Amino acid sequence: MENKDAEYKVWAEGNVVFFEGTMRLSGTDAYAPINELLVKTLAENPGSIIIDLTNLEFLNSSGINLLAKFVINVRKEAGVAIKVKGSQRIPWQGKSLPNLKKLHPALDLDIA
Amino acid sequence: MKTQFGQRVELNGALQHTTKIHFCTEQLALKWAHCTICADFLSQWYSNVLSAHSFAGKLNDAAHSISYMANELIENAIKFRAGGDVEIEAGLAGNLFVLEIGNSISSETSHKFQELLEEITNGDPGELLIQRIEANAAGESSGSGLGLLTLMNDYGAKISWRFEKKDTMADSPVHLTTVAQLQLH
Repeated sequence: MENKDAEYKVWAEGNVVFFEGTMRLSGTDAYAPINELLVKTLAENPGSIIIDLTNLEFLNSSGINLLAKFVINVRKEAGVAIKVKGSQRIPWQGKSLPNLKKLHPALDLDIA
Repeated sequence: MKTQFGQRVELNGALQHTTKIHFCTEQLALKWAHCTICADFLSQWYSNVLSAHSFAGKLNDAAHSISYMANELIENAIKFRAGGDVEIEAGLAGNLFVLEIGNSISSETSHKFQELLEEITNGDPGELLIQRIEANAAGESSGSGLGLLTLMNDYGAKISWRFEKKDTMADSPVHLTTVAQLQLH
């Protein structure tokens, strides 16, 4: 999934969803296709999902909210392992991603 | 008539390295991408100023934080404005980055926003952030306020809001000034 200005790219490989670039979409509706990709990836690979944000330079609060909502939905399903990979190089991740762990303590947060 | 919410740090003296950006919205077909373009401009501008003044902190962190904060607040101004221009002023007070945004909002938006601010400015922003994310996921709230709470909690920003009504007509527009202060490390 790419936008026309190629500011971001989101795609799935197996049970890993990769995010790249700068994502600052205008709200829940604009993020709906991204949410669909996350839901579809989990449906096709039941049991575990990895969200790889190591090349996502920026994400606005609407996007953080989308990730948080997805994490809460995963939390409701017993036996689904979720891992979120981030990078210490990208400041927003160290500041905001720990909130996901507060929402779902079993989430594996790896900010390397 | 003025109404004030939030917190601000009292400054010792005037802001330094001030920039002013005025979106003349009648001439400018204002669009969503302008938020990120303007935020990135401010981020690059001030990281350049900081590096020229031997900033002792982490420049990458400062640049990213300025960009996130400016983008969130400009998004709000563009999303909720009711006509009129958007005025942005930024500057530094030592290692404090200060951003002031002025725009007009409708009386109805003003009312709703003040109700929201009552909630999100009373209490611990970290707890409020988690509570609102949960409420939003359960379909009990619209998700508004999350950007402001991430700024207050994740970035430690101090934000204040001033609502000014020029006349006493109940449905006349309200001028909103948002001042956000971010300690750069």
